[in-house]
Amino acid sequence: MVDMVIVPATRGQLGVLPGHVATIAELKPGIMSVHDGNGVTKYFVSSGFAFVHANSFADLIAVEAVPLDRIDACLVWKGLPEFTQKLKSASTDLEKAEVQIGVDVHSALNSP
Amino acid sequence: MSAPMPFWRAAGMTYITYSNICANLVRNCLKEPHKAEALNREKVHFAISTWKDGKAEKPVIRSDLAED
Repeated sequence: MVDMVIVPATRGQLGVLPGHVATIAELKPGIMSVHDGNGVTKYFVSSGFAFVHANSFADLIAVEAVPLDRIDACLVWKGLPEFTQKLKSASTDLEKAEVQIGVDVHSALNSP
Repeated sequence: MSAPMPFWRAAGMTYITYSNICANLVRNCLKEPHKAEALNREKVHFAISTWKDGKAEKPVIRSDLAED
């Protein structure tokens, strides 16, 4: 049992402590932090869901969840202006959505 | 009580497509060797055949692995 987990839900940061009410939250690309007496471990989650059960168990489902030290900052810096540029040339709704996702994910990766 | 529709759904994209695009973007921003491992993990190789009149037609192979 840890002290607290903070997950990046679509409606904002969700702090989960033992005894939290049962919840399902959709996650947006962002940082999840696990707080234990000794310290904090952070992971970047690509998207997914957080299921908090009534018995103080929480499941985090994500396609990709990586410890922050595995992220290459240079690739993130290069990607963000690239996508922001592509946003201007995207034509169909679907293309615009794809590029927007690129912008969102790279902005989130850039935050820590 | 309902939230506005997310932009990707409004553009006709499903959640799975959205989630996979996010995951791919994250994978491409990893340091080596994790990046190569992650991209390798996602490679697929499968055969798919359409059925017509109760019979399977010639299967098409879809693969991310190098052709031999």
